[in-house]
Amino acid sequence: MNRALVMAASILTWAAGTTLAQRGGDPGPANPFQGKPGAVHEGESLYAEHCTGCHGPNGSAGEIGPAIVSGERADFSAGDAQVFNTIKNGVQGTPMGPQRLADDEMWKIVSYIHALRGTAIDSPLPGDVAHGEQIFWGKGHCGTCHMLGGRGGLTAPDLNNIAGTRKASTIIDALTKEQHHEYGSGGAHLKSLPPMDSYLPVHLTTADGKVIDGVLLNQDGYSLQMIGNDQRLHSFDRAKLRRVDIEPKSLMPTDYDKRLTSGEFKDLLAFLTRQGTKLPPPTPARGGPPRGDDH
Amino acid sequence: MIYGTDLSIEFRDTPGHIGAPLRIIAGLLLSGAVIVAMAQRPDPNDWPVYSGTDNGQRYSPLKQITAANANRLQAKWVYHMDGASGMEQTPVVMDGVMYISQFNRVDAIDARTGNIIWKYQRPSASAMPQRGTAVYNDTVYMVTSDSHLVALDARNGGVRWDVKSEGGYVISGAAPIIARGKVIVSGNRPDGFIQAFDAETGRYAWSWVAVPKSGEREAETWGGARPQGGPMWMSGSYDPESNLLYYGTGQPNPQWTGFERPGDNLYTECIVAINADTGKLVWYFQNTPHDTHDWDSTETLVLVDGIFKGQARKLLLQANRNGLYYILDRINGEFLLGTPFVSKVDWADGLDSRGRPIVIPGHDPSVRGTMTCPSTAGATNWPAPTYSPDTKYFYVTVAEGCGINFITSSTAPDAGTGYIETSSAPWQAYVRALDATTGKKVWEYKPIRSNHYGPGLLSTAGGIVFTPEQFGQVTVLDAKSGKPLWHFNTGDLITASPIAYGVDGEQFFAIASGTNVFAFGLQGVKP
Repeated sequence: MNRALVMAASILTWAAGTTLAQRGGDPGPANPFQGKPGAVHEGESLYAEHCTGCHGPNGSAGEIGPAIVSGERADFSAGDAQVFNTIKNGVQGTPMGPQRLADDEMWKIVSYIHALRGTAIDSPLPGDVAHGEQIFWGKGHCGTCHMLGGRGGLTAPDLNNIAGTRKASTIIDALTKEQHHEYGSGGAHLKSLPPMDSYLPVHLTTADGKVIDGVLLNQDGYSLQMIGNDQRLHSFDRAKLRRVDIEPKSLMPTDYDKRLTSGEFKDLLAFLTRQGTKLPPPTPARGGPPRGDDH
Repeated sequence: MIYGTDLSIEFRDTPGHIGAPLRIIAGLLLSGAVIVAMAQRPDPNDWPVYSGTDNGQRYSPLKQITAANANRLQAKWVYHMDGASGMEQTPVVMDGVMYISQFNRVDAIDARTGNIIWKYQRPSASAMPQRGTAVYNDTVYMVTSDSHLVALDARNGGVRWDVKSEGGYVISGAAPIIARGKVIVSGNRPDGFIQAFDAETGRYAWSWVAVPKSGEREAETWGGARPQGGPMWMSGSYDPESNLLYYGTGQPNPQWTGFERPGDNLYTECIVAINADTGKLVWYFQNTPHDTHDWDSTETLVLVDGIFKGQARKLLLQANRNGLYYILDRINGEFLLGTPFVSKVDWADGLDSRGRPIVIPGHDPSVRGTMTCPSTAGATNWPAPTYSPDTKYFYVTVAEGCGINFITSSTAPDAGTGYIETSSAPWQAYVRALDATTGKKVWEYKPIRSNHYGPGLLSTAGGIVFTPEQFGQVTVLDAKSGKPLWHFNTGDLITASPIAYGVDGEQFFAIASGTNVFAFGLQGVKP
């Protein structure tokens, strides 16, 4: 109860501060580490050390502090200087006290939080977009597995809004690193049952000996859902499957920086970081058209 | 059939269920013969559109669950829609996959197990109630809160196309319907409208708007006022044989005062028949000319081929919010019958030979308050009725009671208002079975405590009426007698309409309640 009140107070205070600063029209000093990717990684370590305890991993909300990177609160649009001020001075009347860190360290945390917010579509990468599209459907063979704009394969996620849901850095990592993770994925705080999204290769043998290969969409102890290489959606009663083999590694190649020339890779990124929808600015009311006469 | 056999979303070539090869043919030859085949009844195991079929009957031919075994029903799974609120949607089912929609979102789940298969979320998230989606030719059609129509690949949720409404019209949360290769959406703003888009490409085809532009002939029915209103916020029905779409339109504006808009105010409060190819009006029937009670004529339009007064006719049935049950000839719009289906209809002294109400004066909203029966909430409202071709009964949830309508000023045409329940005639819901061709009550069931028009109904070939109740009970009634056979408490309010579907030989019912979808089936049929 008390914790909830403190959190609510903290949210209100920050939101109020943000509004005042925005009305004043002064964005404050610029982040000296703006555009320096190294600062994001250093900021991530500093965040893990000083902030995770309250705000949770990746700013996704913790036991004490609210989420600071995604959701419906208006203050997610707070500028870098406002975030810096909050870290430096704390939020009065809440557990968020002034942080005793060097300014540089605080700016690096700001860089990390900045990187957690927004997605590729907000700052798409430069390059020849049209050529990138050719690479996507041609030499890159991306469309063999991925769908985009109603074309392509089904054994990998649809990329229609990839730049609206992923950072440019995450897209680069997915194309180049076997081990990669997504910033801003919400940490461990699941709010609902997600689909698996892993698209891991799966090989099934049915009771009558039929073999079906494809990618996994979901499973539990009793059933399994997958898309077969026949591009069809299948659902199985697990008890009726003789054998289930799930490969631990995705079919997605992670050497695109080597398969493609540096120019081709750059253009592919320019194309991918433009595939998506920019989030509309927050509205005072919840989304959707007015209810009006719908009853 | 054996549980555990592969269910597949490949499209079968059963009659009326367009398969991939047939789709290609249809694409090549846009000929009447092929298209008519497309529009037949879907596989009984599927529930591809809001009402299950184009005809609005919300009747399932499945009969594994019967009046004799309904006491063996049990919950099979529950799926929680996080972020939803007071769900009003009818889920749709195709080939064992259920698609549950919100504005901007579709969750595809295994209809047999409740397991999530994919989610599509278009920015930004919305908790606004919305009434469903449609699946056709392996594509799921979804409307968004910013008036887009999005076509998703039914297998993985991939976006096939995404188009904005034409001309700035605001699409409502009504589930899209499909007619001759077109997706039809509707809405309220700036005035009631329907729009058609090509199902394959998303290309805009036509619009029909419920109120005339000034200078058009119908504008003469507005006494010089600017025609406005006629919201169209419910899914229509479709007759593939005549290629007519049937929709209901809502109230004229200003909503509660009529003195500035003398006349019938066409085409508000109407049932309209629209040619699905051209978007042109073929006929109309006005239930409530010059309405001042917001009795939107948007209640589901049920298409039945039946015998009326000894003659085989193509009928259109509607239990209207104004308290009257209507039967029209759906080919030419001829009025055949109009009779009250609630005990008190005090605003009209019957209907004339053409179905026009003989209005009893003195019922307009007033500053002191004017009592009218039924209330503005309606003798019934948007939750679905159902028609069973087996019993030939029309089942509908009704609200008995009256309302008092207020306006804040007797001189301002756009005076604000409200309406309240009267203590002298408090509201009580009933589920009623009407003889479909006479409108006479056959039986009624009283859901205790329900004081609102409540959720929608579903009838099946198993001789039952699946009857969710406002306060969370799900009851199964005997379709012939109305006797309750089984019940289950979902633990939340229900404001949606149910479906029936089958997967691998097992029949299910499903209903949204609060923020969850519940699926029910028979105990012991499957492990």
